[in-house]
Amino acid sequence: MPTIDISLKDLSKLIGKEITRENLEAEALLWVKGEIDGQEGDLLKIDCKESNRPDLWSTEGMARALSPFYTKERGIRKYTAEASDLYIHVDRTVDEVRPFITAAVITDISITEELLKQLIQLQEKVSMTFGRKRKTVGLGIYDYDKITAPLTYKACKPTEIKFVPLGFTKEMTLKEVLEKHPKGIEYAHLLKGHDRYPIIIDKNNVVASMPPITNSETTGKVTEKTKNIFLEITGTNLEDCKVALNVMACALADRGGKIHSVTIDYGKQKIITPDFTPKKIKVKFEDIERITGLKLSLKELKELLERFRYDVKKAKDCLDVEYPSFRQDILHPVDVIEDILISYGFNNIETIIPNLATRGELSDFEQFCESIRNVLPGFGAQELLNFTLSNKEILFEKMNIKEQDCVEIANPVSSKWSCIRSWVLPSLMEFLENNKTQEYPQQIYELGECVILDEKAETGTQTIKRLAWAHAEKEANFTKAKQVLDYILKGLGLDYEMKEEEHDSFISGRCARVSVNGVKLAYVGEIHPQVLKNFSLEFPVCAFELNVNELYKILKGKEKSS
Amino acid sequence: MQNIIQSLHPLERKIIPFLKNNILFQDLLEQTKMQEVEVMRALQWMENKELLKIKTEITEIITFGNLGKKYAIAGLPERRLLEQLKKKKLTLEEIKLEDSEKNIAIGELKKKAAISMGKEIEITEQGKKLLDKEFLEEKFLKGLPKDQKTLTEEEKLAFENLKKRKEIIQVTIEKTKTITLTELGKKLLKEKIDFDLIETLTPDLLKTGKWQGKNFRKYDVKINVPKIYGGKRQPYMEFLNKIKLQLVQLGFKEMNGPLIETEFYNFDVLFQPQDHPARTWTDTYHLKHPTHGKLPNDLVVNRIKNAHQDGARTGSTGWGYKWDAKIAMQLMPRAHGTAVSARQMVKGIENPSKYFTISRVYRPDVLDATHLIEFNQLDGFITDKSISFRTLLGMLKLFAIEIAGAEEVKFFADYYPFTEPSVQISAKHPQLGWVELGGAGIFRPEITQPLNIETPVMAWGLGIDRLAMFKLGIKDIRYLFSQDLKWLREPRII
Repeated sequence: MPTIDISLKDLSKLIGKEITRENLEAEALLWVKGEIDGQEGDLLKIDCKESNRPDLWSTEGMARALSPFYTKERGIRKYTAEASDLYIHVDRTVDEVRPFITAAVITDISITEELLKQLIQLQEKVSMTFGRKRKTVGLGIYDYDKITAPLTYKACKPTEIKFVPLGFTKEMTLKEVLEKHPKGIEYAHLLKGHDRYPIIIDKNNVVASMPPITNSETTGKVTEKTKNIFLEITGTNLEDCKVALNVMACALADRGGKIHSVTIDYGKQKIITPDFTPKKIKVKFEDIERITGLKLSLKELKELLERFRYDVKKAKDCLDVEYPSFRQDILHPVDVIEDILISYGFNNIETIIPNLATRGELSDFEQFCESIRNVLPGFGAQELLNFTLSNKEILFEKMNIKEQDCVEIANPVSSKWSCIRSWVLPSLMEFLENNKTQEYPQQIYELGECVILDEKAETGTQTIKRLAWAHAEKEANFTKAKQVLDYILKGLGLDYEMKEEEHDSFISGRCARVSVNGVKLAYVGEIHPQVLKNFSLEFPVCAFELNVNELYKILKGKEKSS
Repeated sequence: MQNIIQSLHPLERKIIPFLKNNILFQDLLEQTKMQEVEVMRALQWMENKELLKIKTEITEIITFGNLGKKYAIAGLPERRLLEQLKKKKLTLEEIKLEDSEKNIAIGELKKKAAISMGKEIEITEQGKKLLDKEFLEEKFLKGLPKDQKTLTEEEKLAFENLKKRKEIIQVTIEKTKTITLTELGKKLLKEKIDFDLIETLTPDLLKTGKWQGKNFRKYDVKINVPKIYGGKRQPYMEFLNKIKLQLVQLGFKEMNGPLIETEFYNFDVLFQPQDHPARTWTDTYHLKHPTHGKLPNDLVVNRIKNAHQDGARTGSTGWGYKWDAKIAMQLMPRAHGTAVSARQMVKGIENPSKYFTISRVYRPDVLDATHLIEFNQLDGFITDKSISFRTLLGMLKLFAIEIAGAEEVKFFADYYPFTEPSVQISAKHPQLGWVELGGAGIFRPEITQPLNIETPVMAWGLGIDRLAMFKLGIKDIRYLFSQDLKWLREPRII
C-alpha cells in the first residue's frame, strides 16, 4: 500500500482541468482506491490501496486514470514506440541470478524539477512495492547520451571488474560495492549465495550499473540537464519487468517524451521492449449480471468500461475487452467486473437485503464456557480479559517452576510479548501485581485461550481454554479455593478425586490435583510465598486452574454413555 | 427528643452519664475509662445530632528543658557563682562550676554588673545587693509551666533571655478539647434515657419473643457505609457476547479456529501469493518454536497450489510463480479472522449458510493507547446462489444499522487480496461521526473454485474495537483488556 505525493497544480495541468481536494474526495479518488492521508499546501499525500497497480503510483498515472472522470477522453490511451537501434545482448551467465531485462529510450524530454521528483518517487514505489524491495523487479535510469550502444547484460565474478558506484569517487569491485556502498549493504542479501553478480556494460566495456544494487556514477545520474533517458528493468519474472517498464515509459510519455524501443537479444529469442499491445480478456454477460446484481445494457457497459480506460472490442455472448499493457492486476474476469462497479459508483447502487433464512447457532463449547464464566461473579469474583502473549519469566520463572516448552515468537516486538501463554494463572498473578494498591480482598478469574505444544496436531499445537481463579486477601486459604472449585464441578454433576500434589507454584502439602476417572483436570491450592514475593504481593493468595477442554470432553462422554 | 434518644448508639449512651457543660475531653476520657477512639466517635455522632460542640484550643505551654529541670534544684550557674564570690575573690580555675557553665555564669553576672573582672573575679556592690534578691529568670522558672499567652512584661523578658540559652526551657503545643453542650444537649441530659433498647436482633430474642414491647435503637440512615464490590463479567466480554447474540438472531452460525495457524489457512487458501508483502516479518509474527505444521490432504493442497501457479480451472491466470508447500506449512499466530473462514471453507460448508467468528488475532505493533498487540476481529461469510454485490451492500448496511447503530452508510472501493469486488464501509454514527466500520467483498473464484464451492461467498470483517470503546466510554484501547481493577470494579449495570 504505497503512499505517494501529488501536487494538485501538477495534476490539474496533466488532466487539463482545475482539480481540487474537494472534488477528488467527493468521488474521483474512489476510482483509484485512493485515500487522502494528509496535505501540505498544494501537496497531497495519497494512500493507494491497490497494491497491484503500479501504473497509479504517480501524478502522471493518477491523471491518466482520472481524465475520463473529468474530460471526454475514453478508452485506452495510445502509446507508440519508435524503433531504435539500441541493442542489449543478454549473456547466459545471468540465468542463475537475475535472468530478465527490459529497456526503453525516452528522447526529447525537458526534465523539470516536478518531473524528476515524480520519476524518482515512481521508481522507488515500483521497485519497493511492486518489485518486492527490488527482489523481483529493480529499475535503473541513465543519461542516454553517456552510453555507447550496444549493451551487454551479464554476470561477473565479484572481483573481476571495477567501477565507480553512484555517489562515490573511487572505483570498487562488485564485492566492495556490496560491502561499502549504502545500497550495497542494504541489498546484498538479494545476491547472497551467487558466485556471479549481474552488471550492464556498454560497447566500451564501461560498467553502466550493477543491478539491482546501484548505477555507475558516470552514466547513472539524471539531472535537469539530461535530454535523453535510458530506462532499464531487471528482475526474476519477465512479465513483471515488462509491466514495470511500461509504467515508467508511459509516465514519461505523458510528460511529452518520445519513446524508442530496444531490442533485447536472449540468444534463442529476441524481444523488443516496450510493447504497448493491449491485453485481452473475455467477460461473460451472465457473470457480470450475477456478480453485480445489476441489469446493465450493452451501451451502459461500454460507457462504464471506456470511462475506466478499457476498449470494448466485440460483444456477442460475451464482452471482448482490451486493457492497457501496464496493468497486471487482471487475473480473472471478476477483476474487470469490479471496475465496472467502481465506474458505476458503489454509492449509486440500490442495495438489497438478502432474503436468506438460516438457523443461527452459537458453538456448543463456547456456550459451555459461558455457563462457567457466569457462575463465578456469584462468588464475588471479577472477570478479566488478558493478553495471550506473555513471556517465559512470567509463565515459569516467577511462578517458581521449571521452564517448559511453549510457543515462542521469532520476531517479537518486545521481549515482554515473546511467548503465547500455556496457562492462565500467571496472567492473574501479573494482574494482582498491577493492582497492589487497590482495596483487598481481590477475587478475580479468567476463562481464556492458551496454547500448548502437540507434535501430532496439524498446527503443532493445541489451542485450549483454561479457567483460572485467584483470591487475594488476609485469610485466603485452601478451603476457599476448594469451595469454589467444588461448586463448579458438583454443579456439572461430576464426582472427582483429589490427591495431594507437589507443584512449586503452591505451598507443599496445600496443593491438590483434581481428576475425574483418571483424567487430570485442575490444580488447586495456596500460592507459594516465593511466587508471591516474585510478584511483590503482600497478601496470601489461594487459586485454582482448570482445563476446560478436558472438562467438556468428560461431560460430552458422559452424555453419550447415558 | 424521643427520636434522638432512640437513635443513640451504645457508645453515646455510655458517655452521657459523664457529660457536663465545658468538660475537657481529657477529663471525660479518664472518667468514662473508655478507649479514646470510642469516646471521640461518640462525641462526633452527638455533634452531628447537634447535641454538643467540640472546641479545640491550641495552647503553647512553656515547660522545663533538660537543663532547666536540673537548675530548678541546683540553682542557675550564675547564682551558684555569685554565692562562691560572696566569700572571696576567685581566679577562673578556682570557680567550682562545670566548664560549660563557667562562661554563661560570668556573662550573665557581667550583664547584671554584679562582678568585676581582673586577674581575679570579684563581686561588686551591685552584686552584693543581688545576693538576697531573686533574679527575674529564677522567678520565671519557679512559676513553670506557664501559658505563653498569659506572660507579664517582666516574664516576657525572662522568657526571651532563657530561650536564648540551651535546653533550659521548651515550648510545647497542646491541644485542649472542650465539650460545650448545646441547648438541645442540655435538655437531653435532663431527660430520662431508656437504656433498654434493642441494639441487635438476635436469634435468641426471636425465639424467646423478648423483643416484644421493646424499642429498637434507631440508626442514622443517612450515614455513609463502606463500599463493597459485586463480582461481575468483564465489560468487553459482555459487549462481545451481545454482538454474538445479534449475529445468531440474524441467522449466523459460530465457527472457531486455532490461535496458531499454518500460513496455508492464513494466506494460501485465501489466494495471497507467497511473496506478498503482507506475509513478511514486518507485517506478521512468525514462530521460533514450533516452526512447521501439516497440510490437509493432497487433493485440496494441489488444487490450491494450481490456482496460485496458473489459475488451473478457476478461469484465472494465477500469480505465475512456483508455489512452495514448505512455506504454506510455516506456523504463525493467526493474523486475521478470515483464516477462520478459510478453515471452515476447507472443512466444508452448507449451502445456503451464514457463518461468523470472533477471533483473537496478532499483529507486530507497539502497545499504546491506540494500538493493541493482539485484539479481536469479527468476521463472517454468507453463501447462496442469490448473492451478488448488491446483496453484499445490503447486508453491510444492515450490519451498520443493527450492530453499529449507524444512521447513514457510505461505500468505498478497496483492495483485499482475497475478495473481488472489494468494498470498505463507513458508517455515520450519531455521536462519533463517520467511522470506518469494516471491509467486505466476494471471495475470488481462485479461492472458492478449488474448494468446490459453487455459489458465490461474500465475506466481511467488522472492526469492533472502536465500537466497543465507544459503547464502554473508553479512550484508551488497552482498557478493552483492562489491567485496572479499580475501573473494572466500578458499578456499571447497563
